[in-house]
Amino acid sequence: MAMNKKTVALSVSSVMALSLVLSACGGNNNASNGGANASASSSSSSSAPASEAAVKKDVTFSVGYATGDPSTKQAMADAIAAFTKANPNIKIKDISEGGSMAYLDWLKTKEAVGEFPDLIEMRDTQLFAEAGKIAELPQEWLDLIADPPALNGKHYTAPIAGTVPQGIIYSKKAYEKAGVTAEPKTYDEFLAIQEKLKASGITPLTFGGKDIFHWGFWVNKFFMDDMFADDPHWNAKRTKGEVSFADEGPMRAMTDFTELFTKGYIDKGWASTADNQTASMLVTGKAAQLFSGPWMFAQISQADPNFEYSWYPVPDRQGRIVVNGLNNLQGWAISTDASKDADKQAAMTAFIKFFFSKDQYTKYLQAVNGIPTTKETIAYEASPQMKRVLEVMNDPNTIKSMQINAFWGEDQMPTQWRNWFYKLAQEWLVNGKFSAEYMKKADAEWDANVKANAAAK
Amino acid sequence: MANTMANTKAMRAAAQREAKKKRRISYSIIFILPAFIFYTAFVIYPTLNSVNLSFTSWDGVSDQVRYIGFDNFKEMLHSERVYNALKNTLILSVSLVVLENIVALLLAMLVDQVRWAKSLFRSVFYFPVLLSGIVMGFVWAIIFNFNFGVISQLLDRIGLSEWKIDWLGDPNYALLAIIITTVWKGSGYYMIIYLAGLQGIPPELNEAAAIDGANRAQRFRHITFPLLAGAMTVSVMLSMIGALKIFDQIAVMTDGGPGFATETLTYIVYKVGFGELRQGYGTALSLVLFVLILAISLIQVKLLRRREVQM
Repeated sequence: MAMNKKTVALSVSSVMALSLVLSACGGNNNASNGGANASASSSSSSSAPASEAAVKKDVTFSVGYATGDPSTKQAMADAIAAFTKANPNIKIKDISEGGSMAYLDWLKTKEAVGEFPDLIEMRDTQLFAEAGKIAELPQEWLDLIADPPALNGKHYTAPIAGTVPQGIIYSKKAYEKAGVTAEPKTYDEFLAIQEKLKASGITPLTFGGKDIFHWGFWVNKFFMDDMFADDPHWNAKRTKGEVSFADEGPMRAMTDFTELFTKGYIDKGWASTADNQTASMLVTGKAAQLFSGPWMFAQISQADPNFEYSWYPVPDRQGRIVVNGLNNLQGWAISTDASKDADKQAAMTAFIKFFFSKDQYTKYLQAVNGIPTTKETIAYEASPQMKRVLEVMNDPNTIKSMQINAFWGEDQMPTQWRNWFYKLAQEWLVNGKFSAEYMKKADAEWDANVKANAAAK
Repeated sequence: MANTMANTKAMRAAAQREAKKKRRISYSIIFILPAFIFYTAFVIYPTLNSVNLSFTSWDGVSDQVRYIGFDNFKEMLHSERVYNALKNTLILSVSLVVLENIVALLLAMLVDQVRWAKSLFRSVFYFPVLLSGIVMGFVWAIIFNFNFGVISQLLDRIGLSEWKIDWLGDPNYALLAIIITTVWKGSGYYMIIYLAGLQGIPPELNEAAAIDGANRAQRFRHITFPLLAGAMTVSVMLSMIGALKIFDQIAVMTDGGPGFATETLTYIVYKVGFGELRQGYGTALSLVLFVLILAISLIQVKLLRRREVQM
């Protein structure tokens, strides 16, 4: 409770100011700042009257989004409920499902059984765009977004929130007990902290290894440090066979990753711990730290409002701060089938305008600790932890990169490779023997995937 | 004249029989047709179509389908992952068939001999069968959880934390955890089959044997067990088919992991086809699985039928 009061006391203005910088949109703000209604009216174009007429009809459309993070899931469900309450003629069939299935697997299954959502949170944009499953966005949607991403000059997605970085969420009490007084400036200092925590009798890190997406946090941290920070076109070079996972950078990345496990820093039960159990691990004192993003803050505070924690980015071996911070192709997308139905498209447009309207979008971002992507300025009360995230993102020395799966165009990773690689990492971790042989397997799988994808086209 | 009348009667009777036969056939067709149409649309056509797809490189998303001959089948012959899945499938199948049938037989004998609350016991043992595989998988995943599971919590409470096992995260135990879960769920079903078999054995056979001095073990070996051969044929075959097709528990409890440690043929079909965007390859794998199930089932039936006793 005390934490919440403190939170309220913290600046609204910092988030407001930083959000503009972070969403890389600064100047281009022609839209009204007048809230939801203004936003809707500012984007009204020649098609708007038709849309408004259409939304009075009874329309149903389906929506699908990733449900791995409980806060995001709740925030999405709340947005849908609020919209349908305000628009009783529009029914939204929320077909999103939980479980440990990867989001791509789920989406692909839905596509295969003919239940591809009309409105989709799209993550593997290039794959579905090239397969013709998603349509270009209407101008009305693009008008809402500050910097809509483009694939080959076409806009398929409206980013739901800006990319936020992962970092260490730590228990202040555990740090105090272990005698840790300052955030690490180098990776070696970070490792020294792990030793101190271990010596104090607490498991240093919890890891939600049961959920395949959680693997992306640590694996990509090291990939970004040792590969993408210096070479954003590494993926394209891998596809051309110019670089290998057995090269020095990726080998160092995965050696560092593996050491977190072999040196006993990561909880022994990593394989059966789900991502949504990591907050409990932290607040119950079963582990001192979690490597994750700001979307976890709400979950942690809910689990124990009195739990004191903070956040920092983990430096790389050169002392640089490299974070997952570049915007990518992910966001709301429309299925090609739904785009052909004028009524559905109008209803979805109404929903999107509602979703990105000032009041609603503020609620959403606050729930997930997100960074806005709209032209319209969004401000919300930042918690101390979120404030730290924004400081890092706004620091000119911070190197912003992307996860291996987020690149597109020539730099696109073969979509199926990611989860396979995480499984491979599990294999070498349970066998306790990491070697270049595994990385050669990663090369072979990448090449096979590229070949298979080319054969399918 | 009499002959002519007799002939006419016979011809009329024959015509009536013929008409009756035709009517019967027509009725049969009318009754069969709806099911046949649905079965063709939802089973036969997809099955035949899958043969077609297995020769393609279709990713399952794009509209374009390209034929690549036998490449998918050649690839699986050289895939370590497929051999690993095959090994896991066989380990699971043999373990499940043996354990499910032993447990089911023991439960059936227990329920058969219990004097009171027979229905209650039968219901209790049958109850897990009614649970969906997904729900049961979630429940057992919680029980086996390293940090929050019942087993771990119990060991923590009695000071034996070092005995804790990450059942689903350790490749040495993950398959065992799936076997335990599946036996718990499946045995009740086979218990009913064995119970029906036990109740079909005439009591006088056991009584006569007992009078002749046969002890319990001897009576089981020489009377009960041989006379249960029919039930065993059915149970073993069904449990083998169920084990070869195991999916729910793996999807929910381990996702085929850690690593690829608990991937089975069914699961790899799904992972490759849906997760890895190789519908063509996944379909080719499913055809191999189909042939495997067919071959094992036929061999099994042939072997088990030999020892069946007709009363």
